[in-house]
Amino acid sequence: MWSDFIIIGIYLALMFVAGIFFSRNIKNTADYFLAARSAPWFWIMGSVWATNIGFLHGYLAHGGAAYEWGLIQANFEWFQGPFGYILTGIFFIAFYWRASIYTVPQFLERRYGSGLSVVYSLAWIVIFIVTIAAEFYLGGIFLKNILHIPFWPTVLVLATVVGTYTLLGGLGAAIMMEFVQFIIMILGTMPLLFILLHMVGGIFGLKEVMLTQWGISPQYFTVLPDLHHPYGPGPWIILGQCFVVTLGWCAGHQSMVQRNLGARSIYDAKFGYVVAAIPKTLGAFLYSVPMVAAPIIFARSGIFVERADASYGKLILNLLPSGMLGLFIAGLLSAGLSSISSVLNSTSTMIVKDIYERFLVRGRSDHHYFIAGRIATFGIIAASLLLVPVVLKVYLIMWLEQTLIAMVLGPFMGVLMLAIFWRRTNATGSLVGFITGGIFAIFLQQGLGVRVFFQISWWSFVLTFFVTMVVSLLTEKPRLEQVEGMTWDSDFRSKVGLILEERAEKKGIKVTEISRGDLRRPPWYLNIKYWATAILLLQIVLLLFFG
Amino acid sequence: MEERRRADPKMIIAVQMLSIGVILFILGLTVSLLSPVSRMEPYIRMTFLISVGSILLVGILFSIGGIIRYKRVKRR
Repeated sequence: MWSDFIIIGIYLALMFVAGIFFSRNIKNTADYFLAARSAPWFWIMGSVWATNIGFLHGYLAHGGAAYEWGLIQANFEWFQGPFGYILTGIFFIAFYWRASIYTVPQFLERRYGSGLSVVYSLAWIVIFIVTIAAEFYLGGIFLKNILHIPFWPTVLVLATVVGTYTLLGGLGAAIMMEFVQFIIMILGTMPLLFILLHMVGGIFGLKEVMLTQWGISPQYFTVLPDLHHPYGPGPWIILGQCFVVTLGWCAGHQSMVQRNLGARSIYDAKFGYVVAAIPKTLGAFLYSVPMVAAPIIFARSGIFVERADASYGKLILNLLPSGMLGLFIAGLLSAGLSSISSVLNSTSTMIVKDIYERFLVRGRSDHHYFIAGRIATFGIIAASLLLVPVVLKVYLIMWLEQTLIAMVLGPFMGVLMLAIFWRRTNATGSLVGFITGGIFAIFLQQGLGVRVFFQISWWSFVLTFFVTMVVSLLTEKPRLEQVEGMTWDSDFRSKVGLILEERAEKKGIKVTEISRGDLRRPPWYLNIKYWATAILLLQIVLLLFFG
Repeated sequence: MEERRRADPKMIIAVQMLSIGVILFILGLTVSLLSPVSRMEPYIRMTFLISVGSILLVGILFSIGGIIRYKRVKRR
């Protein structure tokens, strides 16, 4: 066991030192919040995926759910996730990147004015601070259960490491560490799948034992189950989860989008997001598929699992030898730390750019806002640590986070889709639509007691969409500067990406500062359309195989 | 004035590559040195060696790439 401690200690120390080493390069707000717009597509790919996977949304929670409900949990990785990544990469990222913004609310502000962007910023800042506290809590509890080390010192060490490199190095340091964490998650935790499948006789051996000998329902091995499934009815997964929640998460979650805003070109931003669907697809093999096989291992070893979310820890503790366990825990820590650092960096960006610079202290030097970013990062860490003791114990806090997410994602997708695809949408329509959709989501959740999250998101999306359209038509048209270059139906229409930029430049439209290098076409093997098609075909193959 | 104080994007990528390579290499080396490889079951040993070997390989490749890029940026 001591060797596992050393491995984890060295890993944390390396991240701490590398963060300080990197921070010497950071000089202003563009460097700090957007990594000097330097990130190539492979950085974006690793970083987007690592941001997406944490303790909360990944190994522990998804693994536990897969243990309890079966392969349905893989629909996040084999179906909706890649779908959301690809659609966001192709349809939304170009508009964000071209607008030269720091945050998603800034895009909303340019398109719709300040009302909607402030509501959106404040909702996400609250969600993010609660998320960081929950990730710290889950990380501390996980290490306490696995390695029997005290909770608070563990949380403080994690906070010091992730806080130091994010506070000093900003987005560039976060992206760098997320790439390390991406590699360790993929290469360090993948062996569990092969070891488990070897032990249970492969996928067919697993099905044979569970379906024939144990008499478990075939729905346990179905990715898209029927309408009566209590955890996630298939049609609702497609409508609500895939088209609204996942797409809203991918296109509207500041942490997911901010990595792409730090890309060195519009091509890198888009391609990085699209190919991030590959590790996203692999994610199911890291935590969902192994946990579907876990009941057989537990039954053979006589291990009792009292709670589904503790199953992942028990599995690796009983299966992996010393050394390998240390590497595996480093992989799990990577998942948590990558999420914390990305959310931390995004929250500070939103606080400084959307609130502080916009409303509180205007017109100061760039250096002033750069320092404000670091102070904000420190403040967020402190606030999250204060929330740690109560975050999962006080019902109100998680209720607030869940309600805000339910309230935000459906309405956000409604106004975002109209923002880009219908130039007639205006500020009044979007604000009325967003608030109506948000209130309706709360009414569905609290008033009517709808518990399936994607049903809430779908209906609030539909209502927002129509209310925004009707109110926009009844009020005045948006000004030209609010739509030019911000909508699909602008002066450059019909295609996405580099061709658009070329046409924009020929017409002399100042859309953004595009360097000549960005207008080069990529070679055929780096063509976004080919990769997107191949990844979507892979999802179809997986769905055909697993149903 | 502020334009002069911006970080060099090429230098940022070089430092990132170098740091990633060094972290992965040292981590892979530590894991391989501290693990009781000979006492592992054969199948677990094989997956372990592939896993750690891959981390070491990625670490070495990124370190070399980072050093080359770093030197190239410094020379400019």
